[in-house]
Amino acid sequence: MTTIDSGHIAPVQAERRRPYGLLLVAAPVLLVVWLIIWPIISAVITTLWVQTPEGSEFSTGTYQFFFSDGYSLSNLSVTLWTTGVCAILLLLICLPIALYLRFSDSKVAGYVQGLAIFPMFVPSIILSFAFIRVLGPNGTVDLLANAMGLPKIRSPYLTAWGPVIGLVWDNIPLTVLILLSGLGNVSNQAIEAARDVGARKLQVLWYIILPRIGNSVLVAISFAVLGIFSSFTLPYVLGPAAPEMMGPFMQRTFRELFDPRNAITQAVITFGFCIVFGLFYVRSVAKNRTP
Amino acid sequence: MATLVHRKTDWTGIVLAVVLTLVIVFPLIVVGTWAFTNVWRYPSVIPQEFGLRFWYQTLARADVWTSITTSLTLATTVTGISALICLPAAYAFARMDFPGRDILFFSFLAGHAFPKFGLLVAIAGIFLQLNLIGTFWGVVLIQLVGTLLFMIWIPVAAFQSVDRRMEEAARDVGAGPFRVFWSITLPQAGPTIAAAVLLSFVGTFYETEGAWLIGAPQVRTLPVLMISFINNQPVIQYGAVLSVLLWVPSFIALMFARRVVNSGSFARGFGG
Repeated sequence: MTTIDSGHIAPVQAERRRPYGLLLVAAPVLLVVWLIIWPIISAVITTLWVQTPEGSEFSTGTYQFFFSDGYSLSNLSVTLWTTGVCAILLLLICLPIALYLRFSDSKVAGYVQGLAIFPMFVPSIILSFAFIRVLGPNGTVDLLANAMGLPKIRSPYLTAWGPVIGLVWDNIPLTVLILLSGLGNVSNQAIEAARDVGARKLQVLWYIILPRIGNSVLVAISFAVLGIFSSFTLPYVLGPAAPEMMGPFMQRTFRELFDPRNAITQAVITFGFCIVFGLFYVRSVAKNRTP
Repeated sequence: MATLVHRKTDWTGIVLAVVLTLVIVFPLIVVGTWAFTNVWRYPSVIPQEFGLRFWYQTLARADVWTSITTSLTLATTVTGISALICLPAAYAFARMDFPGRDILFFSFLAGHAFPKFGLLVAIAGIFLQLNLIGTFWGVVLIQLVGTLLFMIWIPVAAFQSVDRRMEEAARDVGAGPFRVFWSITLPQAGPTIAAAVLLSFVGTFYETEGAWLIGAPQVRTLPVLMISFINNQPVIQYGAVLSVLLWVPSFIALMFARRVVNSGSFARGFGG
């Protein structure tokens, strides 16, 4: 979770300028430098400068290996596929929910909002277990199908669709909340005006609503992409053993193959694929924090 | 919010409610049912025998108790250290001016510009040289980093919303700085800070990826144990009972956080 309140960091009067504030913030700032900024720099350096008996020398060997190794490439492409499919599905599922919540004040809306936010309070490991019990072999869906005389389903458990279903489920709450917050900027007057000149529902959506929430859609997608691209728990538990997504791939390379150099190379490659989304997302969060 | 659509029956809402109930609530009910089931053999639609047998068996397992202790110790340690270093920092960000204040404030966002597991692998590369892999303190450090952003940003907002005139009035009648902090500032900022501490505790309790990458198999938290139950445990009820146990902190957070989450400012905090 990131942050709750959008209060801003207001300017402080000049006479209260006290450099010893630096002492109070030193510990967490040093932790950020040591455990976030330094590891990222160090990851790039250690993968590009190889230690040889004569000293260190520049080499892109591990990157060349990654981009020529068929298994690594198929892991990368299954990650890109999963991320893309999840992003599209999330928009297709969450946009209608958010639109409904924005333009309805019936009693059902409160219940729908409660349900849409609920997955935030279900840890993904419990979700994985529930997924297997419901959609896995001899799961509840199979039980019900059998009771109705239907054949068993082709279970998505341990296929590429397993992580997709789990990740979409997991990301619904924040996507809905971010889109809903964007829809708050669309005024009822604008929509009524369009209706008055005879615009149909789809036209209102396309010409009035979507242009106004474009930024929120991009923020929601960026947040989802950052979370999904290197997700670990859901693909590890629900996905196939091979090809695997980048998260489980990095973990296995690091802990089971004892090959930190290649694992860190894979990490730097995931940074590279997500950098645009990451910078855009962080910029949007920072912009909301300062007026 | 004002309505634009006036209809007698809210069919869209009913369809959404039914679909979401099926997709979101139903799987969790299935898990809950499994936890209180003694016998449930295929292809019976409902369990043959309900009961608490597997609660006794799960709670008699040594690995479950070790994990519960590990998880609670870890979450308490991480939240404690986080509060100790972040709350004074939040106070400084809210109330003092010092060189580099803005850039340091936004530096806590750095971790969120990168995919999380990639960042964890990069940190693990550093921990490897420091022999922190597989140790309790390695997991503490990696989980501590995850709490920094909201343990600073939420309390900063809390300190900023305190009524400054009340503080100044107290100072005018002769209260010392500590007295002002204790009697005026803390009671006003307290509830929000308590929410941040609670969220930090719950978030740490469920943190799986760092614990798995850095700690496993030596440091086994409840979510890590749950992964091994899912992968290797043929008795379904063990996992179901553990799921129900695991959900307790989340349920407590749900009770406290609902109002915060439903307010628009929460989504704006995520950049929405």
